[in-house]
Amino acid sequence: MEVLSNKGGDHIFKIENVAVHLNGKYLIHDVSFTVPKGQITAVIGESGSGKSTTLSALLGMLPAQAVMEGSILFNERNLMELSEQERAGLRKKHFFTIFQDATNSFSPTLKIKQQLYRLTASRLGQKEEAFLGKITAILKDLNLPEDVLNRYPFELSGGMLQRCMLACAFYNEPDVLMADEPTSALDMLHQQEFIKLLKNLHARLGATIILITHDLGVAAIADSMIVMKNGEIVEAGQVAEIFKEPKHPYTKRLVANHF
Amino acid sequence: MIAKWLGKRVIMGTIVLIIVSFLSFFMMHAAPGNPATAYYGGNAQTLTTGEKERIEQAFGLDKPVLFQYGTWLGEALQGNLGYSAKEGRPVSTILLERLPNTLQLIVLTLFLVTITSIWLGLQAGMKEGSLLDRGLSIFSIASSAIPPFWLGILFIMVFSITLGWLPSSGMNDVRGDGGLVDRLYHMVLPLTVLVISHVGIFARFLQDSVKVENHSYYVQVARANGVSEREIRSMILRNAVIPYINYVGVTIPSFFGGSIVVETLFSWSGLGQLLVKSVMVKDFPVLMGAILIIGVVVVICLFIIDVLMICLNPRLRRGGFV
Repeated sequence: MEVLSNKGGDHIFKIENVAVHLNGKYLIHDVSFTVPKGQITAVIGESGSGKSTTLSALLGMLPAQAVMEGSILFNERNLMELSEQERAGLRKKHFFTIFQDATNSFSPTLKIKQQLYRLTASRLGQKEEAFLGKITAILKDLNLPEDVLNRYPFELSGGMLQRCMLACAFYNEPDVLMADEPTSALDMLHQQEFIKLLKNLHARLGATIILITHDLGVAAIADSMIVMKNGEIVEAGQVAEIFKEPKHPYTKRLVANHF
Repeated sequence: MIAKWLGKRVIMGTIVLIIVSFLSFFMMHAAPGNPATAYYGGNAQTLTTGEKERIEQAFGLDKPVLFQYGTWLGEALQGNLGYSAKEGRPVSTILLERLPNTLQLIVLTLFLVTITSIWLGLQAGMKEGSLLDRGLSIFSIASSAIPPFWLGILFIMVFSITLGWLPSSGMNDVRGDGGLVDRLYHMVLPLTVLVISHVGIFARFLQDSVKVENHSYYVQVARANGVSEREIRSMILRNAVIPYINYVGVTIPSFFGGSIVVETLFSWSGLGQLLVKSVMVKDFPVLMGAILIIGVVVVICLFIIDVLMICLNPRLRRGGFV
């Protein structure tokens, strides 16, 4: 099934007939969609629906044994034709990804300052003095006390660590921000706060955001939405339209449960 | 807080040493044979019962074992380790002569083993499935399966007897005529045997630890976000080295075990060789002194390992465990 949202629009990613199989089993199958530039695209589905595999394919970070078919175009460049080194270069230059489990996203034995530096200024080739000034301002904007820089990850809460990751996104100003279930490990209060900050980042930087989630409440901030089930896309379109008139039985159930 | 922790460690170390000395003392007395008669070697048969009793009295062996231990402990706590009738010298003099030789061997082994195993383990662990990765796994099993005494004999046969390249015995004192170069020249074979028998298993431990870290969440996050492989490698090593150092700590006593075999084989005039000799002639004061001093060195090594762990693991420092 081929579903293309925003046909003919200005897109940053174009995914065509992508299938990934691991040890003879398909993880995703016949996945096609485009990601419009400067917009928020949500990929929604339950666990095992293939949404995280789709993200790994976009990042070029599938397990070594996985076999991928189809094509993924990023700014008209086919990711399949790039070497591992070129893909790493792409991730460094154009993408930033926030993962679900913030408490394990940082090395346990390094101070936050060194880790944020590696995730931001170091990859951009900037010196530490320039980094300190800029990151301190960003942390303040994100309601994080300045002394988080001298803390170790185990001394901070999950919500604070997730905001540290978001601080990196603000710092790097990536072309594409990918977020894999960024709120599911947070409590309700921190979830809402994080979503607000994500919207803020989108408004400020105009970055393209790919938001992977199982929560329709989170997906509501997106412009367009892709619904996945059992490794396939079952529905795609503008969020407002899907909320108003879901077509696939699975989406109908999701929407009915949400409202 | 640090003073309290230090105090606790000193008390713990002392208790460990007392237990070790207590067990050694009783095992020695439980073993067959008599130090008084062993003192006379082949002439022991000719001694009359009266003479034997007199000798036992002189050695204090006619008293109950617990009393003998109490006397020894009391003296030891005051720094007096007794007198070796066999050697005709105070025990502390003998030990101080031997200790540097063993320490040289062990410290150098430990240094070479850690440097080599960290380098090998990191290279192999980072390249999973590579030739080095698989090769190291096989080497570690093979090297730990080969008994050091067998390897030592093999080396003596090949390098000393057949090829005549390296000496199998006759070490000199650093302050003696030979000097440092001569000492190192004599050290090559015993050192190689000790390094080979430990390096494989150490490297294997770090290799596994590196693999675990390489698959951990934070490394995936760093890789997905374009952090350089050099920086990722340093993060991995920083974390993988924590369980490794702990492992080194628990293995330190086995270095002394290994040195007993190697020192005996290569006539290395250290504590290991002294222990074997003293057991043969039942020289109890020397034996107790050697066990005690090895115990002290091990306790100090474990203390250094603990301090290292605190430096490397911020959870221990800031989590209130200290």
